[in-house]
Amino acid sequence: MELLNAFAVSLQSVWADSGFSAFTMGNGIMILVGLLLLYMAIVKEFEPLLLGPIAFGCVLANFPRTGFFTEPGLMQAIHYGIANEIFPPLIFLGIGAMTDFGPLLARPVTLLLGAAAQIGVFVALVGAMLLGFNVQEAGAIGIIGGADGPTAIYLSIQMAPHLLGAIAVAAYSYMSLVPLIQPPIMKLLTTQKEREVAMEQLRPVTKFERVCFPIVAAIVISLLLPPIASLLGCLMLGNLFRESGVMDRLSDTAQNSLCNIVTIFLATGTGMTMNADDFLVPQTLMIIGLGLVAFIAGTAGGVIFGKLMCRVSGWKINPLIGSAGVSAVPMAARVSQVVGMKAKPGNYLLMHAMGPNVAGVIGTAVAAGTMLAMLK
Amino acid sequence: MSHPVTTNPLIIMLINMTVVFLVLTVLGLVINLIHIIDPTKPKAVKQEESAPAEPEAAPAVSAPATETAAVEEGISPEVIAVIAAAIASYGYGMEQVRAIRPIPRDAWKNSGRAQLAKR
Repeated sequence: MELLNAFAVSLQSVWADSGFSAFTMGNGIMILVGLLLLYMAIVKEFEPLLLGPIAFGCVLANFPRTGFFTEPGLMQAIHYGIANEIFPPLIFLGIGAMTDFGPLLARPVTLLLGAAAQIGVFVALVGAMLLGFNVQEAGAIGIIGGADGPTAIYLSIQMAPHLLGAIAVAAYSYMSLVPLIQPPIMKLLTTQKEREVAMEQLRPVTKFERVCFPIVAAIVISLLLPPIASLLGCLMLGNLFRESGVMDRLSDTAQNSLCNIVTIFLATGTGMTMNADDFLVPQTLMIIGLGLVAFIAGTAGGVIFGKLMCRVSGWKINPLIGSAGVSAVPMAARVSQVVGMKAKPGNYLLMHAMGPNVAGVIGTAVAAGTMLAMLK
Repeated sequence: MSHPVTTNPLIIMLINMTVVFLVLTVLGLVINLIHIIDPTKPKAVKQEESAPAEPEAAPAVSAPATETAAVEEGISPEVIAVIAAAIASYGYGMEQVRAIRPIPRDAWKNSGRAQLAKR
């Protein structure tokens, strides 16, 4: 009898400590959301390198009583890296090492296209405030329009950490949908004649320019906008690794091993912010809707400014490269290339679109820095 | 996180877009400045800048043509452009190419056909 009693008490204790006893309907729904995201990542191949760990992090986050964020361990360390803005700058280090600023240096006027496309950020900000979000939350939601995951996470952590999960998922989801979202807007806003504009070959860029640019840009932008000095500083440091020609091992590590390791931590940690209490609220649907508005407005802003530059330059700039100003490197530039090729086979816009594309990365970081300075 | 400068969304939009354009314009000027002071600029660019309308420039331009690679007949300019682009992607210039001539092999042709057949 005593044995049976002890057995029953043990079973009750195991049950009471198990996740099942504290499992809620919300946890179940969020695990299903995680599984859906995993399906999109693995089967549909929507940004699988990011969406995969985000989705699995979402599943992990909804197991009750894990103590992930309260007890010391790997999960708390990952959360620390996100909450203290460690991972986004490290990702930027890798992006810098992978980015060729050559097209931008050859035609610096395309920086303006990267600036124009940031209108999506602020259209979404206005929309978010009209829907009742406070100014900090609206700023964090707006940055989805920059189509730049690390910057979106960087800004969300500082301005609206409780919305991080929804903002990161919206940003990465729409980034993977760029080839579906952008072409109809680009075609709607341009004429056949504009889409057929052939652009002159870019001038060669010297090594001197390639080496000087990251150094001078880091100095200028960090002095102008200190809140994003770590983000832009790491981007330019990574680019200096690449372009100097004497730091190949560092460049290789930054763009491969380090970037992959940090991506695992950043994406898993972002997914782990998607717990039922924070995610299953009406605001999440609003954020996903506003993210789409931001992407559409950003694309439209870039293309319309591209049309303006086309006229001013005497039909030397194809307006289609304006849509690449929404960051999402290099997918947005590829979309410009595909739409341009459909309008006129043999019209290669990829290199020309890379200028506004990398300008968009800088533009989004500048927009984030300005909002941090103004609104935080 | 408590003292935003303003909470008027339109003013925020206006100020932020102005700042983004200004910062990127400054960056554009910096890029142009780097280009101007670049001591390693190719000499051809300097020649064009100093005497853009000189009619005597024509024979000077034709001089390097003697150093260009010999190309056998039957190779289209498109093929030469593709080969030049491939070489440039590895960091070399066309002046380092001695000659372009087709090798009688069907491997590439067959590979292309196989890829088309898979589609």
